[in-house]
Amino acid sequence: MTLSNAPESPRFVRADGVDKVSGTGRYAADMQLPGMLHAKFAYAEVAHAEILALDVTAALAVPGVLAVLTADDVPDIRYSPVIPDRRLFAKDVVRFEGEILAAVAATTPEAATAAVDAIEVTLRPLPTVNDIDAAMADGAPLIHPEWETYDVSGDTVRDGNTTSFSSLSHGDVDAGMAEADHVVTSRYVADGCHAVPIEPRAVLAQWEGEKVTVWTSTQVPFDARAGVCQTLELPTNRVRIIVPHLGGGFGGKCGFHFEAHVAALARAAGRPVKLVFSRAEEFLAPDRRREGMVVEVTTGIRDDGTITARRGWVAIDNGAYAADAAFFPQLAAMHVAGPYKVPNLHIDAHLVYTNHQPSGSVRAPTAPQACWALESHTDELAGTVGMDPVAFRRLNGLDSGAVGPVGQHYDDIGLQACIDEATAIVDYGSPLPDNEAIGVAIGWWPSLPAPSGAYVKLDDDGSGQIITGAQECGTGAVMTLRQLAADELGMEPESFEIIYQDTGVAPYDMGATGSQTLLNNGRAVVEASAQIATELKALAADHLEAAAADIVLADGHASVAGTPGAKVSIAELAGVAAEGRLLIGHGSAAPLDAPPLVGATCVGDQGMAAWVAPQFSCHAVRVRLDRDTGVARVMAVGAGHDSGTIINPVGATGQVEGGVLMGIGQALTEVTRYGEDGRQLNPALLEYKLQTAADAPEITTRFVQSANAEAGPRGAKGLAEAPNVPTAAAIANALAKLIGRPVRRLPMTAERIWEEAQ
Amino acid sequence: MTDMASTEQTFQIAESVDEALRAIAAGARPIAGGTDLVVGSRQGKESLPPALVAIDRLAELATVQSVAGGLRVGAVVNHATLMTHPDIVANYTGIADGAALVGSPATRNTGTLGGNVMNGSPAMDTGAPLAVLDARVELQSGAGTRLVPVLDLWTGPGTTSAAPDELCTAVILPERPERSASAYVRLEYRRAMEIAVVGAAAAVTLDDDGTIADIAVALTAVAPTVTAVAAVEELVGAAVDQDLLDNVAELASAHATPISDLRAGDTYRRHTVGVMAKRAVAAAAARARGEHIAVPVNRSLGIGAAQ
Repeated sequence: MTLSNAPESPRFVRADGVDKVSGTGRYAADMQLPGMLHAKFAYAEVAHAEILALDVTAALAVPGVLAVLTADDVPDIRYSPVIPDRRLFAKDVVRFEGEILAAVAATTPEAATAAVDAIEVTLRPLPTVNDIDAAMADGAPLIHPEWETYDVSGDTVRDGNTTSFSSLSHGDVDAGMAEADHVVTSRYVADGCHAVPIEPRAVLAQWEGEKVTVWTSTQVPFDARAGVCQTLELPTNRVRIIVPHLGGGFGGKCGFHFEAHVAALARAAGRPVKLVFSRAEEFLAPDRRREGMVVEVTTGIRDDGTITARRGWVAIDNGAYAADAAFFPQLAAMHVAGPYKVPNLHIDAHLVYTNHQPSGSVRAPTAPQACWALESHTDELAGTVGMDPVAFRRLNGLDSGAVGPVGQHYDDIGLQACIDEATAIVDYGSPLPDNEAIGVAIGWWPSLPAPSGAYVKLDDDGSGQIITGAQECGTGAVMTLRQLAADELGMEPESFEIIYQDTGVAPYDMGATGSQTLLNNGRAVVEASAQIATELKALAADHLEAAAADIVLADGHASVAGTPGAKVSIAELAGVAAEGRLLIGHGSAAPLDAPPLVGATCVGDQGMAAWVAPQFSCHAVRVRLDRDTGVARVMAVGAGHDSGTIINPVGATGQVEGGVLMGIGQALTEVTRYGEDGRQLNPALLEYKLQTAADAPEITTRFVQSANAEAGPRGAKGLAEAPNVPTAAAIANALAKLIGRPVRRLPMTAERIWEEAQ
Repeated sequence: MTDMASTEQTFQIAESVDEALRAIAAGARPIAGGTDLVVGSRQGKESLPPALVAIDRLAELATVQSVAGGLRVGAVVNHATLMTHPDIVANYTGIADGAALVGSPATRNTGTLGGNVMNGSPAMDTGAPLAVLDARVELQSGAGTRLVPVLDLWTGPGTTSAAPDELCTAVILPERPERSASAYVRLEYRRAMEIAVVGAAAAVTLDDDGTIADIAVALTAVAPTVTAVAAVEELVGAAVDQDLLDNVAELASAHATPISDLRAGDTYRRHTVGVMAKRAVAAAAARARGEHIAVPVNRSLGIGAAQ
């Protein structure tokens, strides 16, 4: 195990950096095509209603309008992964305010807006299910009365408003509780929030004959392609998705969203059509929003602090459609289990339909809330036996060789070292002023194996190209591919251009989702580069009259090991190859098998109970509280992370810092509020309080690089989501120390802190 | 073509105050920074008026100058100037405190004092400082010029007592006595791009013995307009100590009539505006004693004026 400190990191220049900071980079909303029309959507604007009539005649008559589409104009197909419960356009019923009734294309945005206003719709209100309790109540109105007819895949367990149910069981909880000297029960409630990428999404579609090209701000171009193909009944090779630079996503731009609406409009109008969202639409319409959650957890401990058993119950607000959330219950259950030695465990977790905007994967879905609940509970446990919270975590937290709460064995993991590093950074235990305290929390997160492909080629002058299906959403993971190719070929990262975010030219990749880019596409790029290395060595062997096995690629040259004078430049070899056998490599990440579960039972399994190359983290946070107002300020954060080998320390440190700042927002200020009518009250940046640069504390990151043969390239695990897991929890524990008890609502707003302290 | 006529918009750049006044008399709305008018229309609050007259290039409205009995601040002086101008920072510090908290550097360099005053928001950050400093607004029209105390100008959220043909051309700040200073603090949930949850300004004049010779307190975002706490006059003659500050907090909380909205509930607002009033008086009194508390008080003391 080794440590690396970011300040010692080598220089790393992002390939997209100059474009982005100089303003020369182009985003989807910047695109213009000749004859381009402008799209607008007509939304339900009520949370739950029956559609009695929908008449677009007057909209079609508005001057400049070339197309108006409703559910009648597209194939009647339900989509979404696992639980296909959604149509492109509302049919018969609207289930949340952002549901699309109709789409308009017109020569100007103003004409499109006028057409939307001219649409006549008659809605009969239906009872609104406005929270988790209402959804689970006896006799609750069913959001999807026809749920049993949906063509659901896998082991998904459903019932009424329960979209997906999972349970995790290991050992004998009753027996474990009986062994305990203390049994502590806690209940925590988290409100939902949003991803809030700085770029509201834009989609532009153009047909040429039977083929359509869609430029779109998505994190998952191949998923977007699959959605267009499914809903418009097109073969894969007639749809091309291109993502210009993406202005952030944070999960909010995962999934298939509006590409098919715009493609259908463009086909109907016979002209290119562009959709650009307002900030309000970015808040209201996508089916990716961080889910509200209720967590009830009971843990038995001995007098010495050892955990004997845990029982948990989780309910998650899915909103009106499943989106990609079928796995949320199992993932939330894993975070309520936590990275602890819990010999006896049972957790039930429900994902439930409501009339809210659908929730889906936002950076580390379910984790910040569930970790916040569990880690607040953990400090309560430590307090019950009078133990220091850090000592309690050292005692019960996972370590190399331990068995996890659902029976997974861990060989070499760095959780305990993460605790050491994070607490050392903030001088945990040193005296503090009476308005400050340090809270500590630990977390974990899976690495996600997935199919992933890339090509690498060297052209005749020796300059390289990486042609990859991977998507850059700002994490720098795609940018790091240059470093992998360069290291494999003994070249400089700057010698490679990256051709990416275009389904028409690159092989499949899952996209900027699940922290999977470097883990999977990195292996594909290494494999593709290794093929070229082999070719170069063969060419060099001929040229230098040596054995290929003795050829070394370094500093842009091929040389003979032990004979430094015998060398030839890679550029020269590339020139030779250009006259004969071309230097083209292709890679496809080999599957990584999920580890076995020993002695655990999972109902409603969604593949989230045993993790490949799990990541571990500890955040220690120093918080200052203004007791008279409840305003809390995070002063310093120590972040210890085990994400395996760190390939790009600058990018990795940036990911941790961004995740921490996002976590501070979730902890203190970011919340989506709903009115009694089930509609959002604050879909705007003034009333939805993101953290700003001025709020950022000093964040210090240290990477604990545990070896892991079953991980990504050189032993790298995922990273992008992990830093978002324990920050809110650590802040909560600092606040609980300052006011003497936990704040059991997330976010822990100033007002809630002040009320709790009264 | 009636449709065309109804959507026609005009934008005139005034080259003199007289030209602006004529345009306004003819129905145009004045625009300077546009940080309320344009942003509001983009958010769908209210459409842009059909006729606009730009006054932001009128040099005579952009000056800060000493006049008999005080300081005249032109209506299009922006917040970035207010927070740094030596005369304002030295003698009307509370205004600099408030201006420094507005929005972002871009907002502060664009938004003007006149626009802020005439927009009449109860959450405006320069409002309470202007009130405790007895500021008067200079309103001009074809009929002449009049001066209106700011507290008589604001009649409700977004409404003023100015006539439709009147243009705000300046804000007049009366000269301050010796041993006098002001401060503005607000409750905020973050340190940039924020709007006041509640706020309070204080102007304090000390006697030779350090007791209160004069005191004014005004509150932000707890009533339909910025509102003065007249009852603090009873504190004249008191020493500046914890009792005084507690009294200020109590009087301010009692005076507030806050609403509950997305930013805060009424109970919390009523409590915290007292805390802000206490901190504003403490900061103003410290400045009056000659202690240096850098602009803005919020940053010098921490977010939400955390001690």
